[in-house]
Amino acid sequence: MEIYLPIAEMSVHWLVVLGMGGAIGFLSGLFGVGGGFLLTPLLIFYGIPAEVAVATTSSHITASSISGALAQWRRRAVDLKLGAVMAAGGLAGTSAGVWLFTVMRRYGQMDLLVSSSYVILLGTVGGLMLNESLAALRATCGGATPARRAPQHWMRNLPFRMQFRESRLVISVIPPVLIGFAVGVLSAIMGVGGGFVIVPAMIYILRMPTNVVMGTSLFQIIIVTAATTILQATANYSVDIVLAVFLILGGVVGAQLGVRAGERLRGEQLRLLLALLVLAVALRLFLGLVLKPDDLFSVTTE
Amino acid sequence: MKRIVLAVALLLATPAAADEDIVSGLSQDTVQITSNYTGTDIVVFGAIENLEATGVNDVAVVVRGPPADMTVREKQWVAGIWINRDQAKLFAMPSYYYVASTRPVESIGPSFTLQSNAIGLANVVPAKFVSHHDPEPFRQALIRHKQSDGLYGEVPGGVEFITQALFRVRLPVPATVPKGQYKVDVYLFRDGALISAQSTPLYVNQAGLEKRLFDFAHDSPLRYGITAVLMAVALGWLGSMLFRRKE
Repeated sequence: MEIYLPIAEMSVHWLVVLGMGGAIGFLSGLFGVGGGFLLTPLLIFYGIPAEVAVATTSSHITASSISGALAQWRRRAVDLKLGAVMAAGGLAGTSAGVWLFTVMRRYGQMDLLVSSSYVILLGTVGGLMLNESLAALRATCGGATPARRAPQHWMRNLPFRMQFRESRLVISVIPPVLIGFAVGVLSAIMGVGGGFVIVPAMIYILRMPTNVVMGTSLFQIIIVTAATTILQATANYSVDIVLAVFLILGGVVGAQLGVRAGERLRGEQLRLLLALLVLAVALRLFLGLVLKPDDLFSVTTE
Repeated sequence: MKRIVLAVALLLATPAAADEDIVSGLSQDTVQITSNYTGTDIVVFGAIENLEATGVNDVAVVVRGPPADMTVREKQWVAGIWINRDQAKLFAMPSYYYVASTRPVESIGPSFTLQSNAIGLANVVPAKFVSHHDPEPFRQALIRHKQSDGLYGEVPGGVEFITQALFRVRLPVPATVPKGQYKVDVYLFRDGALISAQSTPLYVNQAGLEKRLFDFAHDSPLRYGITAVLMAVALGWLGSMLFRRKE
């Protein structure tokens, strides 16, 4: 049965959309990532307008992060205070991102903005992950997880210091706000939650204890993607609620299957697979930018 | 009402010495786009009156969607990547355009008549064109795009005669058609001269839930956005509850 998407203004088969949500949900459950960076390009390849794909994916990530955040909350592994500080930066970032998005759309450079951000970010993150997982696979003896280092000295010396009890940190609020801001911008222009940027930033820059990283990042992702959804809806009218419902329904089921499949694979293998997947998406988008398109002309109707 | 009765009477009577004229109608005057809408065909039917007159009769049926402003952009190779560079804005182009005719459009009448009535894809031009570049490639690109989307079409021989006087045209209305008021124009040419034209409105509406969601998104975007978020939160929460029980 075909369903009509009122905002994307096109007909799609409901099984295809449900299946896409399920496949992305499966991968996000398997790898423990939000999956926005895969869903947005997939929707664009399928023919959904880029602005609708980006905005609708935000609401999908809100939904898929809820169950993870609830599980972490029960484990008391969420630093609400630090999460709120980062989310404050994130709200400013997502506002800036939506504004940039609207301006680029007016100049017809929105596709370029979305594609090139993806190529740069996914290329970098995928390359780093590939490098790291290959090194981990080579050193299979393992077991020696690096000890947690003390907070970096410069962060204590910046103004506006604050105590974050759950993270056992006393640092200036400036670094977390800036990280939140950067991820907020990414969220708005790429339709991603930004977990693959926040988590390394929390571990390597803020030096948070790893047990609160997952819960805190999910908490801040929910707030930022919820804000992105509302801002995209008001600034660009580009959130398609029908598309979102089908993606979320597929995603919820797919994620559960993915988690179960993931339990049978080793961490390093998973990371290697994820790195290859990320690089493949980056390469596909890169080719779209450098190969001569079949038709040089494009048409937008106001 | 009187006019319809009169038209039907004229159609049936085929009076011997009436004004040369054409009568036409639609199988339906409204298209409702609902959730399971996948496109439909509308039949335009009509009759030529006063067939006794000698000469070659040609019929062209033109359907025009509500006008829209469109921007056409051309990609260029800049520093290794393909980027939108030149652009042209075409004002008041038909959002939908379909022409069916008895013979190829250019052979049924003089070009100035076809141009002034915008009959044929070659004569679909914007009301205003804003660009620093030659307009023609942009206009052609737009027509090419709309054709591949199924929103523009030109079908010579698309007018099917059932009897000598009665004809019909099958008009495709794909799921992607824009909403609004359409105009169905039926032109009668005799020996290359435009004798008669008749215009009928056709309405394309979004109906049901889709219509309400579209209006909701545009009339109260803040509430729409909040609704989308609440729905996402509720579904995410519900999903995690359901699967937790099973474990």
